Amino acid sequence: MDSLLIDASLLQQMLIGALLGLSVYLPLRCGQLSLATPGFYAIGGTLAALLSTRVPALGGSEPVYPLPSVLLEMALAAALAGGLAAGIGRLVLRLRGVYLAIATIALVEILRVTTLNQESLGGAVGIFGIPQPFLDPEGYALFTLLALALVCWLCDRLERQRLGRAMEAIRDDELAAACQGIDTDRTKLVAFVLSAVVAAITGVISAHFLNSWNARLGNFDASITTLAFVVFGGSRTWAGPVLGGLTLTALPELLRPIGDLRLIVFGLVILVGPLLLPQGLITPARLRQLTRRLRRRATP
Amino acid sequence: MSSTAAPLLQTRNLGVRFGGLQALEGVDLEVQPGEIFGLLGPNGAGKTTLFNLISGVTPASSGEVLWRGGAIHGLDPNRIARLGIARTFQNLRLFQSLNCRDNVLVGLHRQARLPWSDALLGTPRAHRHQRQLLEQAQELLELLEIGHLGDQQAAGLSYGDRRRLEMARALANRPELLLLDEPAAGMNPTEKEALRHLIRSLRERFALTVLIIEHHVPLMLGLCDRLAVLNFGRRIALGTPDVVRNDPAVIEAYLGGQP
Amino acid sequence: MHDLTQLLLNGLSTGAVYALFALGYTLVFSVLGVINFAHGAVFTLGAYFTYFLIGGAAGANGLLAGLQLPFALPFWLALPLAGLGAAAVALLIERTAFAPLRQRSADPLLALITSLGAGVVLVNLIQLLVGAESYAIPTGALAGLPAAVRLGGAQVRSVQLLLLLVATVLLSLLTLWIDGTRSGKGLRAVSEDPTTARLLGIPSDRMIQIAFGLSGFLAGIAGGLVGLSVSIAGPYFGIGYGLKGLGVLVLGGLGSVPGAVLGGLIIGLAEACVPADLSGYRDVVAYGFLFVVLLVRPQGLLGRVLPSKV
Repeated sequence: MDSLLIDASLLQQMLIGALLGLSVYLPLRCGQLSLATPGFYAIGGTLAALLSTRVPALGGSEPVYPLPSVLLEMALAAALAGGLAAGIGRLVLRLRGVYLAIATIALVEILRVTTLNQESLGGAVGIFGIPQPFLDPEGYALFTLLALALVCWLCDRLERQRLGRAMEAIRDDELAAACQGIDTDRTKLVAFVLSAVVAAITGVISAHFLNSWNARLGNFDASITTLAFVVFGGSRTWAGPVLGGLTLTALPELLRPIGDLRLIVFGLVILVGPLLLPQGLITPARLRQLTRRLRRRATP
Repeated sequence: MSSTAAPLLQTRNLGVRFGGLQALEGVDLEVQPGEIFGLLGPNGAGKTTLFNLISGVTPASSGEVLWRGGAIHGLDPNRIARLGIARTFQNLRLFQSLNCRDNVLVGLHRQARLPWSDALLGTPRAHRHQRQLLEQAQELLELLEIGHLGDQQAAGLSYGDRRRLEMARALANRPELLLLDEPAAGMNPTEKEALRHLIRSLRERFALTVLIIEHHVPLMLGLCDRLAVLNFGRRIALGTPDVVRNDPAVIEAYLGGQP
Repeated sequence: MHDLTQLLLNGLSTGAVYALFALGYTLVFSVLGVINFAHGAVFTLGAYFTYFLIGGAAGANGLLAGLQLPFALPFWLALPLAGLGAAAVALLIERTAFAPLRQRSADPLLALITSLGAGVVLVNLIQLLVGAESYAIPTGALAGLPAAVRLGGAQVRSVQLLLLLVATVLLSLLTLWIDGTRSGKGLRAVSEDPTTARLLGIPSDRMIQIAFGLSGFLAGIAGGLVGLSVSIAGPYFGIGYGLKGLGVLVLGGLGSVPGAVLGGLIIGLAEACVPADLSGYRDVVAYGFLFVVLLVRPQGLLGRVLPSKV
């Protein structure tokens, strides 16, 4: 295990990156720029931290934190984040796209500052000693991989159904999409709520993995980073943000000198990405070519 | 085409104002089921604006739009589309990054509904449903003679093919009323003649009512059952082609403006 | 009474900075219909430019450790120069993050993304060059001005008065320019109706560059003023203004110049009214306003009624 380039702990972080990338990708597929992913991520993380450390009935004092409790936390985080997203979405999605971007920035900041200033939510110090459902990074990595696989599968199914097509239509021309009978407000809302749910359950996993949680984990920088995953990896298919999340999370760890310039690199990615690779690295066309080539190799 | 039959679409005293400009004023129209109804008028007369009002893209400042007697002005475009009104756009609004088949599939949005469980799990019913949709899409593409372009991206098509795609997409909506905004733009006389036949046959085949905006007067006189002529936002003539072609107000509008 | 004067002054001076900042957003939004997310970074740059022009020295971290200009300018010279430097950077950002997208008729939403990237690169470049520590303005920077004056029975920091004065002067000049000169009227024409403006032969590319240059100039001076009156807390201090500026923008109404001023003053005063024990929440006052506005009146106080689509 030690000689591997990527250890389980890094893999875990990469998988988290992929999940967060998917969270940013979903509204972007409708042409909506949402920077709220870190905010919902923080909601999930804070909720998990609070529940597991302050609610003894969930089994926080046992040597291994029971998995059902983790799943319960995920369900609650999903409900909370989804509800909040539905409320904000209804307010904002009727307006021009830039309003969603602004409102989501504001949301992240409000959540961060509130958590920072409220002792009951952890305050400036944060919450420590979050119980562990797995005793080693490999356990976490497997669990997160399963979660990622589930979300990818959902996204893939979505892309093949009329909802996925409707989202693309809205992105290309919202007015024309409406004139085909597509309820554009509802479609955008669904994408936004799904995005919130994915981010929140990722936050739950992260809180346990990191063993501690604080307000700084849901900030504007994270908005930039997760956006870079999608812009780089590809914004037209779910495989894009997964690739972007995996690689861009691993890169600063593998190339130490770059690690210090991490944010400059991410900034350059999103400055230059839309110009050089408007659809990102993985486009649907390239994905088709790749699967065709793999299929050919599989059948001699 | 008796005028005592209930009209499919009706506008009453319809008007819209943009800032200081009264783009449409006091427009009264009735479109009977099964008609091909033409809208003529010089550039800037307000024809596309009228389409925008009917399809819900622009809210009216005054007057009403009635569909089968019920008010539809003020509804969102997607509600109006679901009532059975489809349209094409003067400046073409295709989904550029999608291929032709997908553009038409979006048009089939209403037909594409499937229970969540089937959609997620990929049941045999879902597969059958998907196959049916693809067949319908291919049929429509072939009807508009672009059946071979299914995989082509919409952005790369020729102008004529883009127009055809937009019509295929509009037909995919299974509309009762089809609004065509300058479908003959950029066509040569042969193509215009083919279009005339196409619209007639579409009306038969799909039991459509058609409301069509066009500049080419002979085409309209030969195609439409009735015509209305707009100028400066007002209706200046209404009637069969013979009545309209001899109307002095119309002649003046066209001599004074552009053909 | 003194407390009230102090509170009023705090609120007004903070509000004046917000107003100048939001004006930069508004100018670009007027002509392009997009928000320049690099604006906060340009503001930060203005503060750093001012610091070095006044004779400050770079800290011990960063590639340019210990850098100090061989001269020290008086503040009334350093500020406009810093403004010009910031304007130049803003123009560079226009060329790299906005113009290429326009040339390809790309989705305007992409400009939000590229300008975000530009801002991040800029701020982190600053950190790379001069480190992340805070810089206080060297003593004697406000040469000749007393540190405080008596006003209405209270001791008032002259820096705050300076801030208000500069802001008022700049605003008046801007209004005169927009109403009086040909380029100014051209800018307003492009913002009100780009198509007609183009048909009338107003070069929209040049208008866009003028808008960026002006917005950069305003941001640079605003940054310098804040640096003078408070300090530079590090390269990230502008981000907070950048984000809060969005709240000001929405409150005042996107694209409205008087709206930006009104919104800035309101939020500045509201922040000053936050009691000391809740001071941590001062930062979210702007966002609170933002959500209320979106709920009640999305076009803001003085904005035009928004077309909901297209």
